[in-house]
Amino acid sequence: MDKLLEIHNLHARIGDKEILKGIDLEIKPGEVHAVMGPNGAGKSTLSAVLTGRPDYEVTEGSILYKGQDLLGMSPEERAWAGLFLSFQYPIEIPGVTITAFMKAAVNAKLKAEGKPEMKAGDFLKLMKEKMALVQMKPEFAKREVNVGFSGGEKKRNEILQMALLDPVLSILDETDSGLDVDALKIVADGVNTLRSPEKSTIIITHYHKLLEYVKPDVVHVLKAGRIVKTGGRELIDAIESQGFDQF
Amino acid sequence: MGHGKYIAPPQGQYQVQAGEVLNLQYVVLPGESRDLEISVDLVGPGAEAHIKALYLCKASEKVRFRIVMHHKAPGCKSTQLINGIAGGQADVRFDGTIVVAPDAQQTEAYQENHNIVLTEEAKVVTKPQLEIYADDVKCSHGATVGQLNADELFYMRSRGIPEAEARTLQMLSFLSPVIPAGREEEIEAAVRSL
Repeated sequence: MDKLLEIHNLHARIGDKEILKGIDLEIKPGEVHAVMGPNGAGKSTLSAVLTGRPDYEVTEGSILYKGQDLLGMSPEERAWAGLFLSFQYPIEIPGVTITAFMKAAVNAKLKAEGKPEMKAGDFLKLMKEKMALVQMKPEFAKREVNVGFSGGEKKRNEILQMALLDPVLSILDETDSGLDVDALKIVADGVNTLRSPEKSTIIITHYHKLLEYVKPDVVHVLKAGRIVKTGGRELIDAIESQGFDQF
Repeated sequence: MGHGKYIAPPQGQYQVQAGEVLNLQYVVLPGESRDLEISVDLVGPGAEAHIKALYLCKASEKVRFRIVMHHKAPGCKSTQLINGIAGGQADVRFDGTIVVAPDAQQTEAYQENHNIVLTEEAKVVTKPQLEIYADDVKCSHGATVGQLNADELFYMRSRGIPEAEARTLQMLSFLSPVIPAGREEEIEAAVRSL
């Protein structure tokens, strides 16, 4: 398989507003792509469409993931196939503990693969191991999902979920926003530890911070719903010094 | 509440004397139409009453809660929490009144009624009321009628939890404060049937 993700001429809207106006993007296994752009460019819409948010409508174009029609799959089917989104604004789920939440997620994936569910003891061992990776204290396992978490704790919880689900394609949507340097390093270390030659990552961001720690292979500039420039890391410096107006 | 099979306390009138604590818990399962009229008088200083109820509807059930919590003596405490889920063409109504008599100083009274509506046809009307005739009291009441949270649902699905399972998890977490101990499995089965 030479391409993990192939996006062709993708148009999408929310309500009457067209936000994506013809996106083309290809990602090979093992690659890290950065999608950079100013606020309102359509970065979060792209992640929403990739993961199947019901309120976004694709009006034109196609997305193939591992050669399959991604747009024909439900959000949960996409997750089972190895797609993961680290939310820009992680959702609070009162009354559901992180352990119950992630156990349901991990077992649903195993079930979809025709494998037996994990034993409770094995799951807790796995949780403990992955929580150490993102430096989450063990007591968080019993906390309700994201309820009362600080910004940094929410983002670490996203990376914990990523580590537990072991995705093939991870999308990090503004994972660096609102993080202090220490939290950013923890998140970046987690992401780097999970990298492998088969796995790819899309880092969506409007500034360079996370990209200092997680080095992208390809950088795209997204503006007004289109990718207006694709290049290497030199684009990060160009954006840093001259902003997005140059494109 | 005793052992084994849960028995709903009878509806009707209760008088709670000084220092006594009354606990009432009601469960209305899918298929049951109920008209629960409950009146509690806190007549002795320091008396307490706590009411918890849950209802689940999925057809054309008619469920009524008519609760009057009357604080007649000082230093009494009452809590009410009624959570339910209305599907199908259910018709649910909650009328809850807290009355605090002039002599009932240092009263603490709380009442909450939260409802989730699953279908367009289901109807929920909630009417919490306070009648306070004393000045040194802590009282609050709140009522909500809403739907399952779409953001939570998508978050769970994006992690691979199937939609039906995600909805069940949401409903159980919503009901958890009112599920009686020992009835978790029965309630879970009823929720899955909605």
